[in-house]
Order: sequence, then structure tokens, then C-alpha cells
Amino acid sequence: MTPGTRLLKIAPLLFNERFIATVVRPTIADLQSEVAAAGPDHVKRLRARCRGYSAFWMLILVAPFASWSDDLPNIAAGRVAVGSAVVTLTVMTLGAWTAFVTAAGALIAFLIHAWYERHPSEIAMPPDAPWRSPQINFSSTDVAGNVGGLIFVVGSVLIVSLGLPSVFWFLLAGTIAACFVAWGLAAWHSRARREDWTCAGRPRRQLF
Amino acid sequence: MLPKKELLILELLVSEGSMYGLQLVERSDGALKRGTVYVTLGRMESKGLIESEQETPNPAAIGLPRRIYHPTALGERMLRAWTTFTRAVAWEVKP
Repeated sequence: MTPGTRLLKIAPLLFNERFIATVVRPTIADLQSEVAAAGPDHVKRLRARCRGYSAFWMLILVAPFASWSDDLPNIAAGRVAVGSAVVTLTVMTLGAWTAFVTAAGALIAFLIHAWYERHPSEIAMPPDAPWRSPQINFSSTDVAGNVGGLIFVVGSVLIVSLGLPSVFWFLLAGTIAACFVAWGLAAWHSRARREDWTCAGRPRRQLF
Repeated sequence: MLPKKELLILELLVSEGSMYGLQLVERSDGALKRGTVYVTLGRMESKGLIESEQETPNPAAIGLPRRIYHPTALGERMLRAWTTFTRAVAWEVKP
């Protein structure tokens, strides 16, 4: 049997004709052409099949979230199905708590994305911030002093406190203390602005 | 704004001519993935930046015919405009 024949039978259950024609069939065509190009070598054929099948299943996962695929049938159901499958797999492999934290993180990511989609002019990074290489810690992430930055900070604190319940009170106290410090800084900057104070010659725009 | 992957695809198609999806993946040095390249190409096609057609079926070949992609006039204009814009911005912010 030609590889991908079964996948072609599954596709109409999930996607409409346009999506099948523009996305699914080319993916399967790549699989078939690669397998054909591999020749009689079994190892090469197996590798080609693995690459092709993994591409197809990756496509199944991302398709419901593709922004231009809103005309797919039952798009909401597809998103819920994929989300549920990911959460179930996470629960089975990593436990309920990890799944809960993952879901909370994803929800906050969607929230931040939706906010920036509505406010595209307000960029997350301050325009005069020096470039820094991305790192896996919150302190290295530049965010602007606007609602988007607030969502990021609150979301980050929430995720850490969900993931590490033992530090919840420390984070709560830290957040409250940070609010007081922010309030003090805002009041100080507000007074400095009124007095036209330039903080030892620094340009005014770096103060706020 | 032109997303990074769409920009890369347009650059490849304009500089190297029409290509299959898999060729784009191979030429992108890992920036494009097999599982998602056709989703990006489909989105670009719906925006009118590229167009595609099926290759002529070869009677000796086994399996489905592949799709070949090429940039539209709009896609080429968009790439030129975006390149000019980014160069101007880069010049403006240069210390």
C-alpha cells in the first residue's frame, strides 16, 4: 500500500476540502515522494516514513490553532479536543499538578497574546532597552510599564506560586512589598517631573 | 507587519524561484518545519502573497502530485517594501 493512504482517509473527518487540498495533500505528497526517493534501502525508507508521519501528526496538532483556518468545520471543538488531549497526556505522564500549571501558563499566554493583538502599538519591550540574549528567567525579560507588563508580572507570579506552593507566602509578601516600592517610585518620579529634575543629567525619557 | 517565517519564504521564493514545500524546508536551515510549513504557505496564499499549482502528474511516479509555490506580484512588492522599511529603521536606530 502507498504510504499515506490511510492518512488521506482520516483527513476528511477532520478538515474541509480547501485545507486538505492546500495543506494535507502536499504533506502526504512529500511523504510519498521521500519514500519513493529512498529507493530499496529499508533504513532510508523507514526514516522517510517516520519524518512524513511525524509531520502529519504535528499538522493535526497545530491545524486547529492556525489563524487562517477559522473556516474549518468545528474549529472550537478541534481546539478543545487538542487541548484536552495535551492536558490528558500531561496528567498521565507528569501528574495532575503539572498539567494544571501547564494549562494555567497556556491560559495566561493566550491572555497576553490577545491583549497585544488588541494593542499592537504598545510594544512589550521599551524602545530604549539594551538588547539582551533571551534567557530562561523572568528577570531577563524586558516588558513595558503598561497593562501588558502588568499581565506578564501577575501571570509570572501566579505560575511560580502554582508550581511551587511552598513559596506562595514569600511571593505574596514580595508582591505586596513590590507594590509599595512601585507606588513610592511613581510618586517620586511624579514629583521629579513637576520639579523638572533630570536625575544627574540623564535624559528625561529614561526616567519614566 | 510581515512575520519572520513568511518573510523567509518570500525571500527564498523570490531569490531562488519556484519551489516545493519540502525544498523550502531544506533551504531554510531548520527555520521551517515539515509539520507546519504548509500551514504557513496556506496562510500566505490566502493573503495573496504566493500562489501554487500542482506539478504535472508523472505517470511513472507513485503517490500524489506535489504543489509548487511561487511569489505573486503582491508578494514581491511586499518583500521590497518590507526590506526598504527595515533598512530605513535599522539606519535610524544605528547608534
